[in-house]
Amino acid sequence: MAADYVSPFDERVRAAEPLAPRPASISGRRVMLLDIRKNRGAEFLDRIETLLQAAGAATARTTKEIFSKPAALALIGDITGQADLVVEALAD
Amino acid sequence: MTESDLSRVGAPLPAPALSVRGLGPAEVTVADLTAGGGALLLFVSEECPTSAMALRRLGPLCGAWQEAGLTATAVFEDPLEVAVRVARRLGWQAGVAAEDPPYRTSRAYRLVSVPTAVLVDRGGTIAGTVTGWDHAALVALIGRAGALLGAELAIPEATEPRLKPGCSSKAAIDPELAAAISVQAGTDDVEEMFERGWTDGLPVVPPTPDRVEAMLGSCDGRVSLGPVPPDMGEATLERVAACAVLAGCRPAYFPVVVAAAQAALDPAFNLHGQAVTTQPAGQLVVVNGPVREAIGLNSGMGALGPGFRANLTIGRALRLLVTLTGGGMPGRLDRATQGQMGKVGFCVAENEEVSPWEPLHVERGFRAGQSVVTLIGSDAPLSISDHRSRTPEDLAWILAWAAASAWSTNWWPLEEPSVFVICPEHAAMFRAAGWTKQQLRRFMFDAVHKPAAELRRGETTPFVHAAGPAAQVPKWASPESIVLIVAGGEAGRYSAVLGPCTGMGSQIVSREVGSPWPLTT
Repeated sequence: MAADYVSPFDERVRAAEPLAPRPASISGRRVMLLDIRKNRGAEFLDRIETLLQAAGAATARTTKEIFSKPAALALIGDITGQADLVVEALAD
Repeated sequence: MTESDLSRVGAPLPAPALSVRGLGPAEVTVADLTAGGGALLLFVSEECPTSAMALRRLGPLCGAWQEAGLTATAVFEDPLEVAVRVARRLGWQAGVAAEDPPYRTSRAYRLVSVPTAVLVDRGGTIAGTVTGWDHAALVALIGRAGALLGAELAIPEATEPRLKPGCSSKAAIDPELAAAISVQAGTDDVEEMFERGWTDGLPVVPPTPDRVEAMLGSCDGRVSLGPVPPDMGEATLERVAACAVLAGCRPAYFPVVVAAAQAALDPAFNLHGQAVTTQPAGQLVVVNGPVREAIGLNSGMGALGPGFRANLTIGRALRLLVTLTGGGMPGRLDRATQGQMGKVGFCVAENEEVSPWEPLHVERGFRAGQSVVTLIGSDAPLSISDHRSRTPEDLAWILAWAAASAWSTNWWPLEEPSVFVICPEHAAMFRAAGWTKQQLRRFMFDAVHKPAAELRRGETTPFVHAAGPAAQVPKWASPESIVLIVAGGEAGRYSAVLGPCTGMGSQIVSREVGSPWPLTT
């Protein structure tokens, strides 16, 4: 049936965000570890941080307001200004 | 599946003509698609996970291919509206076309399964095909395209899985069966809604322009209430009205639906978290004020159940807005482990007329004569029978302890609200005793405490771990975490409690209905 209907969808076509280029090595890179405040996420990041430092990365930590909301633009701005790479941890 | 080079089977095969619909008014032809040097047709279907994977992996490469002369087109065995939506969601950055039953194009290309990639050269000859997801074969096919064009074309990353079989092409289904399956969709507009995916799983009312216009009334359909999480589709009033039509609302309900949407889209409600969580939380809509009677909302017998159009369709309209406009489709961006039926829609009107207390909206700062919608992130209701209590203290104790396992048995204290729906007979006992709402709330809060030691089993809170073993831990962080409303019929002693949506920072949000109205630019 070719009836005309009003779509409940937002039909605008949005281009997918391209993935950032992957670094050949993490040695010497600044890596931000983002704790999203999910239960025990910090423990997971502790371990990741140890491994990253052993691989020669310089690490720093930051946190999101709450895991269930998108990160604030200001936080994203801070991360991109202070780090080459970011690791976001999910745990429970 | 592997590459099946049709050109090796005898003479090169000409690419059959296309019988598809594209986005523009012009006919989609092989000659047009190959005009730049070559064409890649990717046959796919919405239901097929391998098709989705192919679209997601190849989509980002299409722009560079196009610059080199290779025009990619995803040919969906689905309605065009579905094709456009799926392509957008999966990041497919090239052409989209759709074919209807009986899938003549798929048949002409001898499809057995989707996805199938078909490379067509400038002369309109099939230069190779790959069926299913086969990374090595696709790299070879793209390499062949590059050789035809004299260019080096980008190839997909070699990520796992490198091999994944596809799903049966609709063209491969027995024609009689295909006809039997498609006959409904071809003649029945309600079935067409299912085909388009414009549903929550139940039949919907097709949103024809006339119905949507009637729903909008004097409102301007271009007015936006903002982006709807989680996929941030824009909630124009036209789309809100389309959802209200789909849900089965009468136009008279529309101001309530709009107020519910406005409340749900308030950042303080954190719909984003609620829409995607593994929790079962739904969005409870509580309606107060004169609008209840004006549009026939039931606050009496069966207030939490079926039977009343306004209650059932208003809640459903909001959920359809989240599911369709917002993209929070169960099993996709909605990751609820089990969900609950309240996520179909849950709208409750408070029975203010039999309540001994100020109604919810007055508690929240509105005047009694205002019509107000209040949104609360809530779990499913648990019914609480109490036919035997003879004192308000006993009844309050029974009600309060019924909620002791809300969220999780030993998760104490709860910051987020538990909503108690008090039935009229229970409310009458508190009225007779002269209890205020605040007294009842305080009594319930004080009643439900346990020593921390008894709560240290299985999942519990950091608060319990930090407390001394004998410390008395309350079920709720404060009396304000207990929300009290009155609803239900005059006979029967069944109240209910709805546990919270936790960990989201979701606050209760209220909006006045129809203020202002109509909404115009």
